[in-house]
Amino acid sequence: MKRKNAVVRGSIIGMALAVAGVAGLAGAANGAEKLMVYTSMKESLIGKLRDEFQKRHPEIAFDYYSAGAGKLMAKVAAERQSGRMTVDVLWHSEVPDFYALKRDGMLEKYVSPEAQNVRSPVKDPDGFFTPARLGTLGIAYNTKKVAVPPKSWPDLLDARFRNGLGIANPALSGTSFVSVSLLVNTFGWDYIQKLRRNGALVGQGSGQVVDDTASGDLLVTLAPDYIAVEKIRKGANLGLAFPKEMLVIPSPVAIVKGTPNRKAAEKFIDFLLSKDGQTIIASTGTLPIRSDVALPKELGLASTEEAVGRAMKLDYLKTMAEKEAILEKFDAIMKAK
Amino acid sequence: MTGASGPSAPAGAAGNGPRFGAAEVLLALSVVVLVVVVAIPVLLIFWTALVVDGSPNVKEVLAILRKPDTYEALRNSVVIAAGVTFFSTIIGVFFAWLVSRTDLPFKETMKLLFLVPFMLPSFIGALAWKMLLSPRSGFVNKALAGAFGLDGPVFDIYSLGGIIAVETMYLFPFVFIQVSGALERMDPTLEESARISGAGLLTITRRITLPLMLPSIAAGALLVALYSLSHFGVPAILGTEVGIYNIPTKIYEKIHQSGGSFTAIRTGTILSSILVVAAGVILWAQSLLLKAGRFQVISGKSMRPMVLKLRGLKVPLLILSILYILVTVVLPTVTIVLVGTLKTYGVSFTLSNMSLDNLKYILFDWKMTRDAIWNSFYLSLGAAFVTMLVGTLISYVIVKMKVRGKFLLEFLGVLPFSVPGTVIALGVILMWSGKFGVNLYNTAWIIFVAYVARYMAFSLKSNSAALEQVHDSLEEAARASGATHWQALRDIVIPLIKPGMVAAFFLIFLPALRELTTSVLLYGPTTRTIGVAIYTLNEDGETVYAATLATVALAIIVVGQVVIKRITRTTVPGDQA
Repeated sequence: MKRKNAVVRGSIIGMALAVAGVAGLAGAANGAEKLMVYTSMKESLIGKLRDEFQKRHPEIAFDYYSAGAGKLMAKVAAERQSGRMTVDVLWHSEVPDFYALKRDGMLEKYVSPEAQNVRSPVKDPDGFFTPARLGTLGIAYNTKKVAVPPKSWPDLLDARFRNGLGIANPALSGTSFVSVSLLVNTFGWDYIQKLRRNGALVGQGSGQVVDDTASGDLLVTLAPDYIAVEKIRKGANLGLAFPKEMLVIPSPVAIVKGTPNRKAAEKFIDFLLSKDGQTIIASTGTLPIRSDVALPKELGLASTEEAVGRAMKLDYLKTMAEKEAILEKFDAIMKAK
Repeated sequence: MTGASGPSAPAGAAGNGPRFGAAEVLLALSVVVLVVVVAIPVLLIFWTALVVDGSPNVKEVLAILRKPDTYEALRNSVVIAAGVTFFSTIIGVFFAWLVSRTDLPFKETMKLLFLVPFMLPSFIGALAWKMLLSPRSGFVNKALAGAFGLDGPVFDIYSLGGIIAVETMYLFPFVFIQVSGALERMDPTLEESARISGAGLLTITRRITLPLMLPSIAAGALLVALYSLSHFGVPAILGTEVGIYNIPTKIYEKIHQSGGSFTAIRTGTILSSILVVAAGVILWAQSLLLKAGRFQVISGKSMRPMVLKLRGLKVPLLILSILYILVTVVLPTVTIVLVGTLKTYGVSFTLSNMSLDNLKYILFDWKMTRDAIWNSFYLSLGAAFVTMLVGTLISYVIVKMKVRGKFLLEFLGVLPFSVPGTVIALGVILMWSGKFGVNLYNTAWIIFVAYVARYMAFSLKSNSAALEQVHDSLEEAARASGATHWQALRDIVIPLIKPGMVAAFFLIFLPALRELTTSVLLYGPTTRTIGVAIYTLNEDGETVYAATLATVALAIIVVGQVVIKRITRTTVPGDQA
């Protein structure tokens, strides 16, 4: 009965799969202390931190989920809806979100003993979140196609960058949203409109526009420091320029309310803010929040002190309130012909 | 549900056996599965879209519909779906005819090759075509511009035309599989008698072959239309950067824009309700089309179909076929594989820039990608198996049993497929996030449930097409000879429709392995699928890692294809002997 064999075989495959599936699901649930970090930091940064953190705390089953801030917040909102929270610690660059979460009572208060060393333009006096990194965004340019790097923000309005500037989608990327807000606050919506008239495009995530620039599809883009640095180190055709007015965006870290893994979360934040943690962060090419940690010299990045001094200013509480309006206005401008 | 009550068995056999045998129980069970897994989540989507705090919310619905970007997204969705369906049908029918009914050399090989685009995930294709045809840096554009001394780009893949072209390349096998299968199963005596009666090839094709093939062509075209209407990957990669949105990418964007607030989720469900209506219209049109003629062309015997001699066209058509495969499959695949070996994106393809380090990293060192591969593997196999079995039983109710309201059943089965995966994801979240006692959120099970819901349509279409061609007389004869309902099913119907069941398995397993649209909203921190991993890597600007993982995915798909082929090949002769 050949045809029966097929049915039997199919059933066996099905059962084996079910067993494998259950085993796969059960396997994830082991480990006494657990920690799940939702972060917008890319693998090149969070991966290194994970390795070092695990060395120091092998008792914690550490895992992370890396995605753009927009996605992370959508995930958190969906988890709130479902009542099944997976996230313990949130760490990304969309500063207004942290004010909103604090307002909504979504965060646990935690002041790390390391917090006193933090040097940042943004601080929460109530201790619900702490900046754990100072992201800067420069203008990344394709070295093969751009002979003279842009030096100032108005340079981007040059005809030589026509149809060549890309900005990551601020709805997806926290750094992009804050960057746009900073630029608007400093130069006005008029500047964004002029960029669009020069053919500026909206890309996807903040990393993708950097790769598009490396390939030459874009000529210039706003690039988070460590993402560009990693690619430059690997030999990409990229350069990174910083105009006088700098985009400096602190990335706060916070513990999510009601986490059963509070102890592990505190250990992670302590590690993140410690000199060791910040040294790892600096080594990837982004600014540490401590002034006692040095940046690798060959990168030519501004020091933490200098960056804070050159940083464009922003009222984050106001930005939080206007977030949807800002996104819509940006969207409307960038979609106009 | 109406389908569950009173299984009115085929005439003349009602008196035999127990009324509630194994077959009846399984039927009732599968209807329950369909309702729970498919119908309720979809109804929840409508409920969420239209009702707020217990009262209808027409104002917000209208406000959303009035927005210009909604119009534009809807228009783009329609333009893309129409274009893709049109070209996929032409290409699919042509190549199906070529490999089943002509003496094209290396027919069997070519037949396998035409299935390859089906294995190639369309968003990986989009990724490759982006590398090849992006205006400034695309490899082909650069080469052409260099060769002819042009200033501007020759092709711009970031356009509606680009999206349609890329989707067509990888969706036409839906039509190809349906039509080539039907062409092979078709009773050749019909054509032969026409020829003996003096009809020419054109007349035979027009009067006999095409009408007989119409249900299969329509089934394939319908799959393409629904799929591209709700397709996320290609427009997301090729459209959003230049402001071209279709409904699914618009929903995806909307949902992320408001930090995932419930208002945004509801906005998403309103947008997708538009698609559900559009899909309903397509289904209605299809039922009108098919009502014109239902044919039962499998007579229970197997015969060799008539073959057309191509003569002088033999070589040109073979070259055309091979060229098509080279351009749509080999070129993008090679691009993906090569880019996957680069140190970083944008550097030139020199040996010093290429290595297998990325591969090692993806397979062994990076937990995220390792998890993704394993998750996709067991999720798609499990979902394909379960969906195939349940779909067979439901199709049986729809096609062979005379029950009232079965159009409703069919519609519910096809419904989730016509809704963007994004919204299936929302429906599944609404259903399985603890509100009804079961909380699967952030687990692999929620993706599994969504896959079953999403791919039920494939299973139903494939199984119904097979069942429609099994003449009622065969089963009636078995029942008249004293066989129970279950025996008739097991010994007569299932062996005859097994090719359809196997096809259903393929139609689910291969797309599920690369599924993106649904998983992209359902994946938890440890439950990324391969599709999600590739997409997020691309979005994160890890283009070379995205390409490396895409290479791995392609390798897994090819191996899976070969293994499955081997399993089915050992069983197929058993049927035909």
